[in-house]
Amino acid sequence: MGNLKLQNLTRAAKIRIGLLILTLILPFFPFVTDYMLHIAILIFLYMILALGLNIVPGFNGLLDLGFVGFYGIGAYTSGLLTYHFGLSYWVIIPLAFINGAIWGILLGAPTLRLTGDYFAIVTFGFSELVVLFLTNEIWLTRGPLGLPGIDVVSINLSLFGGPKWEFVGELPYYYLAIVMVLVTVFVMYRIQDSRLGRAWFAIRDDEVAAVSCGINLLGYKVIAFAISAAFGAVGGSFFARWVTFLSPDMFKFWESFLILCMIVLGGMGNIWGVMIGALVLVSLSEILRELLPLLGLPVEVRFLAFGLIMVLMMRYRPAGLMPIPAVAAKMRAGRIKRKKVKATVGMKQ
Amino acid sequence: MTPILEIKKLYKSFGGLLALNNISFNINRGEIIGLVGPNGAGKTTLFNCVAGIERPTEGQILFANRDRTISISGKKPEAVTALGIARTFQNIRLFDNLTVVDNVKIGRHCRTRSLFFGAVIRNRFQQAEEKEIAESANQFLEFAGLKGRGEEIASSLPYGDQRRLEIARALATEPHLLMLDEPAAGMNPQESRDLMDLIRRIRDKGITVLLIEHDMKVVMGVCERVVVINHGEWLAEGKPQDVQNNPKVIEAYLGTGAAGAA
Repeated sequence: MGNLKLQNLTRAAKIRIGLLILTLILPFFPFVTDYMLHIAILIFLYMILALGLNIVPGFNGLLDLGFVGFYGIGAYTSGLLTYHFGLSYWVIIPLAFINGAIWGILLGAPTLRLTGDYFAIVTFGFSELVVLFLTNEIWLTRGPLGLPGIDVVSINLSLFGGPKWEFVGELPYYYLAIVMVLVTVFVMYRIQDSRLGRAWFAIRDDEVAAVSCGINLLGYKVIAFAISAAFGAVGGSFFARWVTFLSPDMFKFWESFLILCMIVLGGMGNIWGVMIGALVLVSLSEILRELLPLLGLPVEVRFLAFGLIMVLMMRYRPAGLMPIPAVAAKMRAGRIKRKKVKATVGMKQ
Repeated sequence: MTPILEIKKLYKSFGGLLALNNISFNINRGEIIGLVGPNGAGKTTLFNCVAGIERPTEGQILFANRDRTISISGKKPEAVTALGIARTFQNIRLFDNLTVVDNVKIGRHCRTRSLFFGAVIRNRFQQAEEKEIAESANQFLEFAGLKGRGEEIASSLPYGDQRRLEIARALATEPHLLMLDEPAAGMNPQESRDLMDLIRRIRDKGITVLLIEHDMKVVMGVCERVVVINHGEWLAEGKPQDVQNNPKVIEAYLGTGAAGAA
């Protein structure tokens, strides 16, 4: 790694490193309040979730409306394991990952044979089932009373004679969330440029051609669904230890839809696009929450605003803010063609 | 010498329509064989049955994979590909949003193994495999005459090159039998000549080629044997010239009475 000099880096790499450094020093700017850090953590959390969900619609072209189910499973896995057994968060992360993946396989294996909309309906049903389970199985989840008093994340070095350090306030969570986002992005990039990722892209582009290249459709879709669910669950596990309180109504269908909107807004299948989608929608939601009461409108109006944004996106940029390269190339070609048509029409007049 | 593919009394019905009606013929190892017939004769249905995309209603398809003979009727398409039968499609089916080289890399799928952990950890096995995939993908591109086009987006290629790319992708699965569905459709004379040359070079690598084609110049120029089907039934079989002069074949293409006129 000796050749890591600034002038050797591409412009995109410089921008990325700059953004990372800015993110890392952000909490030390004087104008940054705890509330802003809270929003930033929320953005990071939704980035993890959106990147996880992105695997299914973005990489595989399957509509998934039940992602929040896995988020909920991860959150309650984390919450209950902490509540009953006092497990450390660092042990819970892999457990939540595995538990999410197991539920992804359990739901995906029988249902991924369904095509398109039918599959979407099944996933929707699943997420509703999760909410009903969490609400009604009071012996396990305390139902609508919620699960309060979950321990905060801590780094316990007492086994090695070191100190025990508990995460107090937003700042430690801010950095923990950054690390989790970075790991997620790293995994996504690695997958994208691998045999597994190519198989998914093949399925997304043409299932019949994929199958005749020897790709087992069901198998790869189940893998995709499991990994997606696992990242959802990891996001949930963080959420539980961050807000330290869980209740079933945090995992309503609305959340699935919001995460899906982030992907569509940012550009389905594009890792950077998806993260930008999360950034835009979470910050917009918070800005509107402040702004709407000033205008004398109820805060629920922000859902209307989201709907309007999605309609406008579909009309003007259907591939999202940052589409995947081939889609971008096609859109450019379309625009050039349209311009040419306009030009010839103009000449005739 | 045992045939590489034996089709025995194959039937396929879609509801009341009998798309394949008692078709039997053999494909010998190392030959270029043409499958011709008027539109709607059942050629593509036959392809789909062999490739595992359609399940034959009745009958057997036997594939001689090296020394063993296996029945492949009703096997899943990915299993058929893994056994060594690759195909192209009548209406080109590329992975449009991916680069040319990625299309061919996906063809290597059934000969490689890495999965999630390999992708994330990039262990030595995965790195070696990925290197092999990249190298062989470039070799197949070069073989198909697409050298240096690897980074273009597949859908941006001209039509003839898209056909070649589909062939390169099929070759990347290392088939023993390659099935081409109307490879010359929409090609100009020069492109068809190049295509015929490519088909011969594929055969010279030891791959048997089964070809559906409407362009008689290509069929006559490249096929060693031709099987004619019509209305899902076997009609004739033999050397291209003989088949071309067969009155039954002329009738099938041009209608009753045309045989006398010809």
